[in-house]
Amino acid sequence: MLRINSRPNTKLIAGAIGLGLLLLIALLPLALNVVLPMFGLSIEPPISNLHAVNLAPSLNLPHLLGTDALGHDLVKMIAYGALGSLSVGLCSALVAVTLGNVWGASAALAGGAIDSLMMRFVDALLAVPSIILLLTLSSILSAPELVEHFPPILLKALGVTNYTDGLLPYFIVILAITATTWLESARVARARVLAIKEEDFFMAAQALGSTFYDLLSKHLLPALATTAVVEGTLLVSDAIIMESGLSFLGLGLGPSTPSWGSMLKDAQSCLTAGNWWAAVIPGLLICFTVLSVHMLGEGFFASKRARGKISA
Amino acid sequence: MIIRRVLAAIPMLFLVSLVSFALMRALPGDPVDVMLGSAQKELPAEDLKVLRQEFGLNQSPAKQYMLWLSGWLKSDSLASTNALGRSYRDGRPVKEVIIERIPATLTLVGVALIISFTMGLSLGILAVVLNLKNKKAETALTSALLTLYSAPNFWLAFIALAFLASPYSSALVNLPILGLHPPGAQPSLAYAAEYLLLPAIILSSRRMAKVALYVRTLALDELGKEYVVTALAKGLPLRSVITGHVLKNCLIPVVNLAGLSLPALIGGSVLIETIFCVPGMGRLMVESTFGRNYPVLMGLVMLYGTIVILANLLADVLNNVIDPRLQQ
Repeated sequence: MLRINSRPNTKLIAGAIGLGLLLLIALLPLALNVVLPMFGLSIEPPISNLHAVNLAPSLNLPHLLGTDALGHDLVKMIAYGALGSLSVGLCSALVAVTLGNVWGASAALAGGAIDSLMMRFVDALLAVPSIILLLTLSSILSAPELVEHFPPILLKALGVTNYTDGLLPYFIVILAITATTWLESARVARARVLAIKEEDFFMAAQALGSTFYDLLSKHLLPALATTAVVEGTLLVSDAIIMESGLSFLGLGLGPSTPSWGSMLKDAQSCLTAGNWWAAVIPGLLICFTVLSVHMLGEGFFASKRARGKISA
Repeated sequence: MIIRRVLAAIPMLFLVSLVSFALMRALPGDPVDVMLGSAQKELPAEDLKVLRQEFGLNQSPAKQYMLWLSGWLKSDSLASTNALGRSYRDGRPVKEVIIERIPATLTLVGVALIISFTMGLSLGILAVVLNLKNKKAETALTSALLTLYSAPNFWLAFIALAFLASPYSSALVNLPILGLHPPGAQPSLAYAAEYLLLPAIILSSRRMAKVALYVRTLALDELGKEYVVTALAKGLPLRSVITGHVLKNCLIPVVNLAGLSLPALIGGSVLIETIFCVPGMGRLMVESTFGRNYPVLMGLVMLYGTIVILANLLADVLNNVIDPRLQQ
């Protein structure tokens, strides 16, 4: 008979699995950079080895997953690439959600003409497909004419010198991704604050003379935080896909920083040599990371709904 | 109602144009600097001044914006093409450069939109039917759809390319890839259909999965409602309940999703066109990004924004037609 398959339990389990998988992936770079050095061990960054080019995956160590066209060991490349992909994903999601919520909440609180002006700006940017905005911004942001005009403090903080770009590519990629992804959460935050403004408890708190700070910290922020976490997880997966797309085009973190996207880019050239593993493995990793982020987000949402913090 | 929506779209278009113009002017240095690079040191100052005048750079930013905007609105006159700017790469008017790339992209995105919605709807219905008949098969189907939704399009694209280029594939499929027509042949619609089939299928993959999952959720929600129980209780077969009642009620959000899908598909086409060498707007976008060809880039931002706004408008109008309740 008719039984609707939307029990929150399955989603909670899926969420737990997602969290586990993500932790596993996130542990890779952590283990490489923090844990192993603590025990005096270290794995050297992947180096090219022209004597071991395009080796197929095999159980014969040292190349468990094979090597790419330049002889980089794929296991190491994946571990180091995870650092690039995940950090860009996490940072841009964090910045985007914060910016979006502050913008949306301010618009809703300000109301009137300021509100509509702020939101029409968001609407206009939303009308442009995100990758178009992403490409345009990354082209503009990385223009040498503009980089020269960056404040010196910023350049120093990013470790840019005459000889090295430091963290500048990270900064540009994260900025470009953030600028295209904060819009949706601004809309959600505004709708949320507008709804809360009409709630009885909020009006009662206002009538009782609560200060603005109290209203913000006791009523608005907790309400925004729940949705922000769900949005944030989904944005992480979007940002990972965006970064891989940018890197694939050659606009990503640059040749010195491996990421899963740049691995895909490098693998493209050796596909004709029959080297399918260098292309399949990073792609599968992106796929599974995005999938686990989705499962985590759904699970979190389901758990909040089960506790009645979100109305369906 | 429809008239109000159309009127609301006009300020949006205006804002998009303002944003793209502001982006173009955000860069230090003007088009003349970028075009000439270090060569400008060797040019006499008077020549530079004449060049700047030709680009309209001696006027106030507001005036420049008006000139740029009028370039879009006016039909082909020399003044309007000059105002829109010229491609830094070959000096051709931006309008001309972009217009010749439009058909390939529209065909690709159109075919992908049709595939993603026909396939997505059918798979979504299949998932609903399986949910009632065979839970395990349904779980397998939804997991496969979720995985497909998580896979980046461009990755699937070049895996497909690698497969087609490998010796194993010729026995199975024989699809032409790369470009729009055989080298040296006249471009035609038949060639375009043949060459764009695989790119369109891959471009539609994520959207298709999303539509299928969306339809599944919507239909399962509908199935729990009282009118379904009533219909089943009075002896209607499940099949006609699903096709006659449930699907009709799911159609409105799906049409809405179609309007929202266009930006995603157009965005996805950028990478797909690059991989399959389709000479469309997306590839022009990538070429201009690398060449820092800002007039073309901003023209494209403006055009993409316009297409998306018009698509959303169309979805609104369609919804009004499907659901008379919305007209009030």
